[in-house]
This record gives sequence, C-alpha cells and structure tokens, in this order.
Amino acid sequence: MIEFFNDYILSALILGSIYALGAIGISMIYAILRFAHFAHGDLLTLGAYFAFELVDRFRAHPVISIPIAMVTVAIVAVGIDYAFYRPFRKSRPIIMVIASFGIALMLRSTFQLLWGTDDQYYWSIQPPLESLEPFLVGAKHLYIGGAVIVLISATHYLLAYTRTGKAMRAMSDDPDLARVTGIPTERIVIWTWIVGASLAAAAGVLLGMDTRIKFDMGWNLLLPMFAAAILGGLGRPYGAIAGGMVIGGLEELSTLVIPGDYKSAVAFGVMVLVLIFRPQGIFKGRVL
Amino acid sequence: MTLLTAQGMTGGYGGMDILKGVELAVDAGEIVVIVGPNGAGKSTAMKAIFGLVHLREGNVTFDGQEITNAQPERLVRAGLGYVPQERNIFPNLSVHENLEMGAYTRRDDIAAALERVYTLFPPLVEKRKQAAGELSGGQRQMVAFGRALMTDPKVLMLDEPTAGLSPLFMDEIFDRIIAVNETGVGILMVEQNARQALEIADRGYVLATGENRYIDTGPNLLADREVVESFLGGGGGNVGNGNGDANAPEGSGDD
Amino acid sequence: METAGGLILFLVGFFTLASIASVSTLGLNICWGVTGLFNIGIAGFYAVGAYTSAILTAEPSVPSNPHLGGFELPIPVGWAGAMVMSAAIAWIVGKVCLRLRADYLAIATIGIAEIIRITFRNWGAIAGGSYGIHRIPKPFESWPQPWAEIFFLLLMIAVVVVIYLVIERGINSPWGRVMRAIRENETAAAAAGKDVERMRLQAFVYGSALMGLAGALSAHYLKQFLPEDTEPLTATFLIWVMLIAGGSGNNKGAILGAFVVWGLWTMSEFLTDLLSAEWATRAAYIRVFLIGLLLQVVLQFFSRGIIPEKPPVIRRGETNAVKAEAG
Repeated sequence: MIEFFNDYILSALILGSIYALGAIGISMIYAILRFAHFAHGDLLTLGAYFAFELVDRFRAHPVISIPIAMVTVAIVAVGIDYAFYRPFRKSRPIIMVIASFGIALMLRSTFQLLWGTDDQYYWSIQPPLESLEPFLVGAKHLYIGGAVIVLISATHYLLAYTRTGKAMRAMSDDPDLARVTGIPTERIVIWTWIVGASLAAAAGVLLGMDTRIKFDMGWNLLLPMFAAAILGGLGRPYGAIAGGMVIGGLEELSTLVIPGDYKSAVAFGVMVLVLIFRPQGIFKGRVL
Repeated sequence: MTLLTAQGMTGGYGGMDILKGVELAVDAGEIVVIVGPNGAGKSTAMKAIFGLVHLREGNVTFDGQEITNAQPERLVRAGLGYVPQERNIFPNLSVHENLEMGAYTRRDDIAAALERVYTLFPPLVEKRKQAAGELSGGQRQMVAFGRALMTDPKVLMLDEPTAGLSPLFMDEIFDRIIAVNETGVGILMVEQNARQALEIADRGYVLATGENRYIDTGPNLLADREVVESFLGGGGGNVGNGNGDANAPEGSGDD
Repeated sequence: METAGGLILFLVGFFTLASIASVSTLGLNICWGVTGLFNIGIAGFYAVGAYTSAILTAEPSVPSNPHLGGFELPIPVGWAGAMVMSAAIAWIVGKVCLRLRADYLAIATIGIAEIIRITFRNWGAIAGGSYGIHRIPKPFESWPQPWAEIFFLLLMIAVVVVIYLVIERGINSPWGRVMRAIRENETAAAAAGKDVERMRLQAFVYGSALMGLAGALSAHYLKQFLPEDTEPLTATFLIWVMLIAGGSGNNKGAILGAFVVWGLWTMSEFLTDLLSAEWATRAAYIRVFLIGLLLQVVLQFFSRGIIPEKPPVIRRGETNAVKAEAG
C-alpha cells in the first residue's frame, strides 16, 4: 500500500497538478479566444528556464523564482499575442492555430539556442528527504504541493471573487454576449493571457523541479494538457483542474498495464473518447 | 426629446442587404415597437443599431452622438442597452453574477441598482446564487432583462422578449417592461406578439422586406384593418382575427 | 569539371527532394486547401508509407537488423502498397476524428502521428526499431552516375506531374466543386443534401495516401528509412509552411511553395555552414527559428487567399430566424 503510494499516487498527484495548471490556460484561451494554443507547452518551458537562470545566476531558491517567472512569462505571452495572434482576431481560428504552431517552433529553437539540449536541474544534488517515512516524500514534493495549493487557491479567488475573474468566466461562457454587455473584451483577453501564461510558467518550474529542465519539456506535455482541458470541458477552469488530475492519474496508473513509452497514447485515447461520446466534457464546456 | 434616431439604414449579413433604408426613432421615456412579418428585418435593424450588423449606408445617433457601426462597449457606456433574443445570459455564472456583469462599465455604487432589479423581479431573489443556465425560460428572460437594466440605460432594446414564453409569463414580462419604462427608460422592442406589444406602445413601426411600411401610434396601427391583415398576421404573430377581440386565444410559438 | 559535376549532383539532389516534398504538399492541399481539413499528422502517414514500401521491397532482414519482410517485391508494388496502407490508416483515423472541429482535428492528428512514430520506433520486429530498414531498392540504381540520379529526378518530376494533372481534373470536376463548397460553408453544403462526412473522408484519405507516397519515395531515394527521418519538423511543419507560402487551395502554389521553401531551407543550411564550428549546432536552431518566423510573416502579409473574414455568426437556434429574416 505504501509502495503503491510512493510509486504511483505521489507521481500521479504531481503530474496531475502540473497538467491542471497548464490546462487552465489552454481551456480559457480556447473559450475566450476560440483557438487551440499550440505554443502553450512552450510557455511552461519558458517559465522553467527563466527560473533556472534565476537559480543559476542569482542563487535564488527555486520556489522564490516561481512568481518572478510567472510575471515574466505573462509579459512575454501578452507580447506574443499582440504581435502574432492579435492580427487574426477576426480571421478563422484555424489561422491562429497555425500561427501558434509556428510560435511553438520559434520558442523551442530559442531554448535550444540559448540553453542547448542538455538536461538542466535546479539542484545539483537533490534536497534532503523530509522525514515522512515511510512515504518517499522529499522536500521538493512539499514545495510543489505547497505551490500548487497556493496557485489554485489564488486562481479560484480571482475567478470567483474579482470583477475581472467573473468577466473572464463570462467571456468564456459567451464572448459575443460579453461584448454586448459592454465588457471590454480586449482587456479581458489580455488578462486571460496573463493568467494562463503565468500558471503555465509555474507549472513549468514545478515540472523542472520534479524532473529536469529540457527544451522540449513543455511541448511533450501539450497533448495531455489538451486532453485535460477537453475532458474538463473547454472554458471551465475548475473542469480543467479536474481533468488534469484525472489524466495525470490515468497516465501514471497506466504503466501498470502498458509500456511507459506509450503513455501519451493514454491521454490521446481519453481525448478521443471524450470527443466522440461527450464532447462538452465533464463540466459541460464549449463544444464549438 | 429624441434620444435614438436611425436613418436610411442599409446593410445586412455578408454581401446581402437585408435592410433597405430603414428609419427608426425613440424619444426619451417612450415605448417603441417594431413589428412585421417574418423576414422583415426587425431583429436585423436592432442589431444594426447596436453595431452587430454592418451598415454600409445610413447613420445612427444616440443622445447626440454618432454611433453608426460603433463598438458595443461604447454604446453601453453611452446608455444604450440591448437584450438579444437568444443566448442572452451567462449560463455558468450565478444570477447575481450575471447582474454584476451588466454593471461592469459602471464606476458608481451598484447596490441600489441591484436592489431595483430584485424588486422588479422578485423570483430572482431566492435564485441569486444559482447558475443562470439552470433557470426556467421565463426566469432566464428576467435575468437577461435585469442584466441589461444594470447598465443603467437611457434606452433599452429588447429583441423578442416574449419569444418561447407561456402566455402567463408573457403578461408578466410586458408588465415589467411597462414598469421599467415608467422609471424613465425608453424601450425599443421587436415583437412577434404584435397585438399585445402595440397595445402598450407609444409608437410602432411596421417593417416588411427590409423597409418601413407604417409609422404611427400603437393604438392607431391596431385600429387600421389593412395594417393588421396585411402585415401582422405572419409566422408566430398573434393578432386574433383582427377585429379587436381582446380575448382571442393567443398561443405563442414553442414554449 | 569536378565542381561542375558536384554542382549538377547537388542541383539534382535539391530538385529531387523538392519534388518529393511537392507530393506531400499536393496531398496536404487536398486536405486543407480544397476541403479545409487541418491535418498536422503528415509525419505519421509519411512514416506509414515509407515503412510499408520498405518492408515490401527491401532485401530480407538480417539478424543484426531484424524487421518484417524484406519481400523484395518490385518497386511499383511498394509504392502502391504505401499509398494503400496510408489510405487505410487515414480511413480509420478519419472515421473516428473527422467529425471534430478543425482545432480538435489538429490535436487529434498530432496525437495520431506521435503514436504512429512511437510505434514504429519501438516495433523492432516489424520496422527495425531505431535502426530502421536498409537496403531498399532505388530505381535506376544500377545505372552509372550521374545518370542514375538524373533519371531518378526525372521520374520524380513525372510523378509530380501525373499527380498534379489527376488532382486538377478532380478539382474541376463536380466532386471538386462540392469539396470547395464544403470548405467555404459546411452548413450550406449539408443543407443542399451533399454527404459532407463522406466527402471529407475521401479528401482526407486521398491526401494522406499522397503523403504516404511521399514517404515511400523518400525511403527509396535514401535507400534506408529510420525513425529520425520522420522528424515532425521537416516531415510536417516544413510542408505546412510550403503550402501556406505557396498559396493554399492552389495546386501550382503547392508545388511552387515546396520548391521555394526547400530552397530557402537549403540556402539557410549553406549560410550556417559558413559559420565557425562553434556556431554550427546553433545554426540549426537559428534556421528553425527563421522558418517559424517566415510562417508568421507569410500568414500576416502574404496570404490573402487563406484568411477570409469569418463567416457571419449564425448562432444555433437562430438559424431559422436568420434565414427568415434574410428572406
């Protein structure tokens, strides 16, 4: 039982949380901007590398670097939107998908250019295990868990209690009605990028803490994050969180029955099933 | 004084002109109704005023400002509210949050406005924390109406407010419309239930095939047999048999 | 004389690869340009076609490199087999995924391609694992150089021309007109009674078959095929850039785009080769970055044809009302 926890549950929780944080952004961006953001994974990677620079150059603690990375990536994302997505607001959404695919490529090649293709780590030696014997919980797990709780609570507060958050949910429900209501849609779009990108950046740092930092770390998570967002219902941020945990859990548990290489098939399979049998997801999000 | 004027509105979806030189006007505190057969362009005219349908010719002024093809945000700030016919609430937001969204552009204290809406629509009080999408059709219409009222409009445009409602709710909605109007809000309304609408209208416009056909006071239009028979009998419109029988059974479209 | 020979061989090689890329872009054009299907899974079908043809035509496997077959069948059989296999897989994928909206289809095809690639990479017994399949026969290979290369190129050009003509016939036929109607306004086409799903599936299958053929042609050209050869960058993304740059919806544009972008890609390789060794690896990344940037530039400034205004918003339930209003 303990082993089961150590081997599977812990990693499922961590992976699921990372997926959840990334999926929130994907979900909201899809509902509000109406396109599948293919560069979202690379925002994770960007966050991880920013944090790495802070840790590497300034001896910052990785946890401290999270908020800084979040702010920086948010700014970058807003800039990318302004330069590369905004021109297509009135075009068919598929164009933005194509553009975002190109942005993903540009980001990834930049990572390879600046940081090479070797693995990087926040700690040269892993921080010591907190004594929670017999659970194999290390300090980093506590950091990750704590960060996840803080971030999700903050996101919940934003969405449920602030005017901007409610406007985001409103736009996510129905962008046209939001316009008609007089909500300043372009400003809410910017907020969507800020929230989505900063959560992605945080997810990237956490992923880097848990495993390693590599140029394609975020890109490889794109499919599961999309699956999580679709599973939870596009435009439903709480759905995205649930979806993330489910996909993370399924992926980790799947190694009991199928070889590890095929993990991405799990997320993909779930996604296809959802799209065929219940396209609106668990929490009834946008379908079209 | 005239708050809203539209002249020579010409335009439509894609390349096609649905409106061909339509004119409309709403004075402060008036109830103005747009009626006509299906396909007349009634909803399109309203959408064109609100900048949702592109006008290639014509102009619209509101409260002295030119607003032709302007952005909705600007119009809401200027005091022009709009309730679309369908998908007019945020289904995943609570009733209360829907109303709050209506007040998004306002900087002042909205507590009084919220009070007014809840007083006007008492059934919403107990549902205020419920997701708006879970409400019945009539209650949703109230939420939509309330949301638009929260923008503190000088003129409120309603697109078929009674569509799909049972006769009981229809009466309630009309009563509310009158009540709102009595607080000084001008109303511009597209209605299929032409008869009932014209009974409460200060002025009515009859549109057909994208053009104005008649402009007169509500009662005058109702009294004109030619108008009633030629233009008010189409689709879901219910005018009874046109001879002023106020109790003719009126089953509206689907519920 | 040597450098002239070298130059000729280089040019022949360049045009050969560009021609093979054109086969992919023409296939993609059937999916996207004519029918509006966003298929990011090119690399997957490319792999299927390549491996199929390889398995059918290569020499039997050796213990050091086990793989299925090596049936040494004639090359045309291999190519035909490649197209059939790709078409079959596309049919299955399409049946499941095509009803999805464009974005979903994009995600789905990425997933499919990834799974296909991973499968081939891990399927040691069938596809030779990471070692791939070797000793694939090449048309004209017994001929002396440079004629072997030149005739291979001519064969590729012939293939492209034949495909082009066949597609052009198809586009200008009633079938093609319905396809374009579907792309522009699916609801209207469906309302007009056309079997939209079936036709989209056809387009998807034909397009994927061509991508499979491109894979097969590559495999025979290189005489080997490894998992690295299905790298999504060149197999998928570059093809997309080619199509968009050339003007999608347009077959001539598809071919032109293939040659132009392949030219840019090759040129950038030259330029970065000139850099010092220290910059050599970085150069590759700069090239990728520039291709991504090129795509943005092309999308924003050079693609009138593929960025129409959004069709008017007709909400569900209002459709009849709008039709009535517009009547």
